[in-house]
Amino acid sequence: MGFLNPGNLIYGLGLVLLVLIYLRSRSRPTIDVSSLMLFEAASAPVAKSRMLRVDLLFWLEALALGALTLALAGLYVRRAAPVGQHRSRALVFDLGAGMGSLDGRGTRLDAAKTQALEIVDEAPLGDDFSVIGYAIETETTRAHSANKSEVRRAIAALAPDAVAVRPAALRAALIDARGAATIDLFADRPPPSGLTDEVRPDTRVNFHQVGGPADNLAIVALDPGIPHASEGRCVLRNFSMRPQQCELMIEAGGKEVFHSPLILEPRAQMIVPFGPLAAGGLVHARILTPDALAADNDHYALAPSIAQARALVMSPESEVRDDLARVVLAVNPNFLVTAVDPALFVRSKAAAQQYDLAVLHDCDARGVRAAAKLFIFPEPRLDRAGPAPLLLVTGTAALAEFQARTDAAPLIAPVLLGSARLVELPGWMDPLARGASAGGHDSFPLAATGRNASGEVGVITFDIRNHLLLDPDRMDALVLTIDTLRDLLVPADLKVVAAGSFVPVSAFGRATLVTPEGSRTVLSPDQWGRVHFRPSQAGRYFVIAGTRSIEVVANYYDAAESDLAAVPAPPPAQAAPRATDASAYGEVRVAPATMLLVVLALLFILAESALIVRQASRWRVRHV
Amino acid sequence: MLETRAFEPELIQRLDGLILGTKRARTIRAGQRNIGRVHGGGIEVENFRQYAEGDDLRFLDWNAFARLDHLAIRTFRADRQVELTVMVDASASMAIPERDDKLGLALALGAGLAYIAMGENDPVRLVAFAHRRGGQTLESTPFHRRRESYIGFRPFVTAIRCGGETRLAAAVGELLLERRQPGILIVISDFLVSPGDYEDALGQLLAARHEVKVIHVMGDREAAGTYPPPGAYRARDCESGEMREVMIGPREAETCRQRVELHADGLRDFCNPRGIAYARAFGASQLDAIIAQEFPRLGVIT
Repeated sequence: MGFLNPGNLIYGLGLVLLVLIYLRSRSRPTIDVSSLMLFEAASAPVAKSRMLRVDLLFWLEALALGALTLALAGLYVRRAAPVGQHRSRALVFDLGAGMGSLDGRGTRLDAAKTQALEIVDEAPLGDDFSVIGYAIETETTRAHSANKSEVRRAIAALAPDAVAVRPAALRAALIDARGAATIDLFADRPPPSGLTDEVRPDTRVNFHQVGGPADNLAIVALDPGIPHASEGRCVLRNFSMRPQQCELMIEAGGKEVFHSPLILEPRAQMIVPFGPLAAGGLVHARILTPDALAADNDHYALAPSIAQARALVMSPESEVRDDLARVVLAVNPNFLVTAVDPALFVRSKAAAQQYDLAVLHDCDARGVRAAAKLFIFPEPRLDRAGPAPLLLVTGTAALAEFQARTDAAPLIAPVLLGSARLVELPGWMDPLARGASAGGHDSFPLAATGRNASGEVGVITFDIRNHLLLDPDRMDALVLTIDTLRDLLVPADLKVVAAGSFVPVSAFGRATLVTPEGSRTVLSPDQWGRVHFRPSQAGRYFVIAGTRSIEVVANYYDAAESDLAAVPAPPPAQAAPRATDASAYGEVRVAPATMLLVVLALLFILAESALIVRQASRWRVRHV
Repeated sequence: MLETRAFEPELIQRLDGLILGTKRARTIRAGQRNIGRVHGGGIEVENFRQYAEGDDLRFLDWNAFARLDHLAIRTFRADRQVELTVMVDASASMAIPERDDKLGLALALGAGLAYIAMGENDPVRLVAFAHRRGGQTLESTPFHRRRESYIGFRPFVTAIRCGGETRLAAAVGELLLERRQPGILIVISDFLVSPGDYEDALGQLLAARHEVKVIHVMGDREAAGTYPPPGAYRARDCESGEMREVMIGPREAETCRQRVELHADGLRDFCNPRGIAYARAFGASQLDAIIAQEFPRLGVIT
């Protein structure tokens, strides 16, 4: 028994008011008479007089008002649904990384599966189930099936992803469960407060919390440093309430560069330095000590190559050339940087060179031979007769604001930049950041990278004159520039990405995806020859396109999902009902008692009216 | 509000032809009042008699002595006046039921009788009595003799407010302390007191040789027992403050009406054997009928 709208119980205050008014009005009135001798023979009332007199009329009115108040508050009772009536239930599973943590004999997801299978087994024949999983996205693995075998298979096929759960995915899962009389939600932590009521106010949601507090260590980040130049850093975090010992091993190029046992303080973070590395390439950090969650015990990073490389920096402004050269050397000190004015480039010796990277500020790329080109504040097309440029500039914004990166949340405060070009990105380029004109609403890309047949191409649309990249107040612009450069310099056959993110790979044809578990999936390219996939597990993926193989390494870490020690208790209102409630009586349904209460109120009022009429007829008056 | 009717020309015109009935100075002429042949001080010569020693020489008829040489003394008819006192009950019970306007009826009747009495140039006064703040309160007007001064009663009549207890015997006792010569005394009240109280009061008046008339005033609803509306009440005596739980309904109203009748009959039965004129004045709406029909029938006026 409970109330659908407990706030409406406030109307019960009217009952108090009614009682006061009623009692006062029903109290026996006092009249002045000329002499009591005239009333000597008048009979005295049977009841004793009181200042506040309570009689049957009062109780009838109080009961009527009380019933109406309860009806407004939505009094309901839980009762078993009639036998023989088919019911629909939705089994919704959290498939975030936390559900893959080991908890006793199995994972949390295994415990959720066990509970769900019990519900399925105890359900009467004819009931249908839908099985829905959610993590980053919502996936309905089985929609409304009365076949229990299929439902069991769908439950058994569920697997946790190495990603953090998005509330939007839970919301979508609850919306997908429309039509179900009851939703059973299996998760290792309660849903956001009010979400279930907001999304499914008319459906009973049974929350089944699985798992308890567990100890977990995670690799938060891995910075390989610069080979031969600077140390790398590995950041570890202990989510346990106790000190934890672990064994950390770091490998680079298949060789062990660090291996040591470590002790982490309770709920503390540790930075472990290593290196400098002797060579570039893939760096792999591992926590060898087993803990509750394995997905965050591996982390990969890509160290820049130590091979000598050539970089070309062109800009009409000498100050900009100096700034860009510093940034390029900061990304990889092994670059041999050539800075030149675009007006002098064609006639200079630099034009004859082949470059690994060309950074072109406010100029075109004619005559530049480079494996990767980064256009900064690209020049509009001035010569209509010449060849079409790689990037089509459609206009210029006088003042641009850096608002958000595509792989992160929007900036707290927009960063005011200078002028910016409005570039129409080709389909093979992916934006890295977006901005807008100051005071405007139309968003446009500020940085993008992509690969076409000629090589890696990147663009930064805002101008970097006046030492914009060295301005400490606009550090986001510098970070975006460095990340764009790094994106251009990664090897074509190796990518390090975050688990759960969309990964475009330029395969130029059909490709086969090999997951860390060894399963294979054929991927179809889009019109620009790129295939896309979303790595849901941490580890190494391979995209095989003909004779070419591209390795994609996915890292997982999420501070909230990996924190297995701080699992909040479920809210009382959504406490999971005992299994016996459902097993003994079938499905327990919420049955509002509104109609019954209204009928009772009407009966009380009718009885009161009859009483009043009776008294009126006895006194022979037309009103009372 | 009814008391103001006593000063309306229409009612006064109807009162002009009426004479207050009295047994004390029964007139020899029908329809007119005359005072008795009582010797005494006056200005109207009644007779002559032989001079006797000790007679006041101022009354010696010197003309007759000059012509007849006989000492004769002139005797005069004494100037006799019958004082009329109209006692009006101004206790709290006269205000209840409020819509019955018992006090208005009592004052209208009292003022009307006063006007009638003033037709013979007899001194008339109005007295309102009630027991207030622990003592008897008598409020009285001066004696007025001529109808031209009848309007002098109006401020008194309109200013009277109800309050206090009745205590009729105490009021009469206080009035008799004035030790005025016997006259006519009209008591207008609802007589909602114990029989002992009004018997004591009327007995005192009779003992003082007053001619007493009683006008019993009751309200329409009070006499019919139709107030208050049916229901259960806590009835409070407006004079004593005594409380009592009562149930009012049709049966109780009939009982109440019978109680009023019984009380009135008791009062009448006390008055009639003792020569006290008793008249009922039940209902303010019956003012005209009471004056024109009921009072002559009962001998209050002739």
